[in-house]
Amino acid sequence: MKRRDFMIAAGTAAGALMIPRIAFGAEGVIDWYTSSDQNVMDFWTNVVKPKFEAANPGITINLVDGGDNAGLQAIAERALAAMQTKSDPQADFFEGFDARQPVGAIDAGLWTDISAAGLSNYSRINPLALDIPQNMPYRGSQVLLAYDTTKLDPANAPKTWADLIAWIKANPGQFIYNRPNKGGSGGNFVRRAIYEANGNDPTKFQVDNFTAEAGEAALTPAWDILKDLAPSLFDGGAYTSGNTQSIQLLGQSAVTMIPAWSDQALSAIAQGVLPETTGLVQLSDLGFPGGFTRLTIPTNATNHALSLKLADFVLSEEIQSAVLTELGGFPGVSWDYVSPELRERFKDVIPASIPVFPGGDWEKAINDGWYRTVAPNVDPNA
Amino acid sequence: MPVVLVIWMVVWPIISAIVRTIWRPDASGAYGFNLDTYIFFFTDRYSLDNLSLTLWTTGICAILLLVICLPIALYLRFSAGRLPAYVQGLAIFPMFVPSIILSYAFIRVLGPNGMVDLILNAAGLPKIRTPYLTPWGPVIGLVWDNIPLTVLILLAGLGAVTNQSVEAARDVGAGPIRVFWDIILPRLGNSILVALSFTVLGLFSAFTLPYVLGPAAPEMMGPFMQRTFRDLYDPLNATTQAVIAFGFCLVFGLFYVRSVAKNRTP
Repeated sequence: MKRRDFMIAAGTAAGALMIPRIAFGAEGVIDWYTSSDQNVMDFWTNVVKPKFEAANPGITINLVDGGDNAGLQAIAERALAAMQTKSDPQADFFEGFDARQPVGAIDAGLWTDISAAGLSNYSRINPLALDIPQNMPYRGSQVLLAYDTTKLDPANAPKTWADLIAWIKANPGQFIYNRPNKGGSGGNFVRRAIYEANGNDPTKFQVDNFTAEAGEAALTPAWDILKDLAPSLFDGGAYTSGNTQSIQLLGQSAVTMIPAWSDQALSAIAQGVLPETTGLVQLSDLGFPGGFTRLTIPTNATNHALSLKLADFVLSEEIQSAVLTELGGFPGVSWDYVSPELRERFKDVIPASIPVFPGGDWEKAINDGWYRTVAPNVDPNA
Repeated sequence: MPVVLVIWMVVWPIISAIVRTIWRPDASGAYGFNLDTYIFFFTDRYSLDNLSLTLWTTGICAILLLVICLPIALYLRFSAGRLPAYVQGLAIFPMFVPSIILSYAFIRVLGPNGMVDLILNAAGLPKIRTPYLTPWGPVIGLVWDNIPLTVLILLAGLGAVTNQSVEAARDVGAGPIRVFWDIILPRLGNSILVALSFTVLGLFSAFTLPYVLGPAAPEMMGPFMQRTFRDLYDPLNATTQAVIAFGFCLVFGLFYVRSVAKNRTP
């Protein structure tokens, strides 16, 4: 084949491949995007999609892995641009996204106010999980401590915050947590310290009660706790840049204990990334906070009504129970709306309350304050 | 066409970023000249620490790259046979390794209880003080990542040194150092400048390696900008940081443009 023919053939083939991508969003096909990991994609493929499609004949869900948050942000920006030009956003449903992105999207009216959309199951949502009405929480997980049982006898594993601090100080260099903005395991370790500095009362922190003075008063003592801890951390005050790196250090036996997401730690053990001898423990005085994964729906979605139907479906008892049993996560609805036998089965594993730290301005203050106050403890020339 | 693309995708965003950070509405909504974010950056200890860490990393990397790549390029230029081909392949190899893969491999090899520690331990030697999560982590990663480009540019520059001139110098009794200093270096000066300005531009905006391997604070400008934009929801200050970083890169860009212009004039 001549080079020119080859180029033409290759160009045609490449063009043919691109056609589905430039197709318009179709009626009855919900274009669904996720920023979550493969386990969540599998959950939707094997559980949610077949159940929803069986309950709604003629409707299909087109599951697309958007990669990460940045991937979804690009798609959300496209939807925002489509809104201005009144064209098709080709996106109906975002899993694992935050309606605060892209900046200005809420003001432009891109995201549906789900609280006002008339979902029959909306009132079931755990009130602690609610953030802004454009974000609909539907599943959660909680941070706990993962440790090496060959170096620390499970009988001596810390069960309270005071025990944990005492253990870290007695074993310098054996604990590390990640930067609070780079992954929830370290982020919620930091938030647990904030609770500790404020009388262990999660109700003091609400999404709408942040003021500069309240932030200053609540966070400064927490920074003192964390600064005091820094010299006893790995390498005299180093912080990994993500959940995975912390798990890698525990797996390499470089540290003895890390905070980790419950579901991530369980799958790491199952895959052999962490050895079988890894122990997990939750604090009993007040658990580490958890986080909720949220859905957003653009107002200009082609299948807007169907997307809301799907959001409502996801909050049903059937799917919420599957979140517990199939995904290893926590339900986004209050525990009263999970089947009684599951409530019974998980009652020892899951604490009565998952403290949920609000996002929004608190999150901003924590991300900025930690970097400015706690992190510089590291001497760059050490 | 290329000119239009450059104006649309490079020049216009720069102008827009500069204008949006200095000409913007105040509290009352009236547009006006406003340098607050720049004043904040240059009076804020934390921001300045980040900037100086970036400059430090860039400087150290540039020096290390030159020290490592110049001998490799000289070797490749003045030797023939099979071995130099392998050396060249090895020197170009980092170009094909994505930096995220490099980062995790780095943790496995140079990280705590990594491969180096295991080998040292097997030989009965003490463990290394790991560079992971210190400013030296990104330095090692960035140097490795930038070797191919630097070697290629230097090698291209060495093409301008003819074998005859080197042989002529040798015939009149010049030693290797004398040949390098008086024959090779004067022809190579320009390439060194180009190589340095290219790598500096790349290093200044580096993200993945400093993010995964570097310390939490101070951070390099790349992760700092990303964090300001994404985690603090503060596009204005992030743009200001970007404009400041651009200002520093502009200086090195001018070096490059000047050296190209000088080459053009006979």
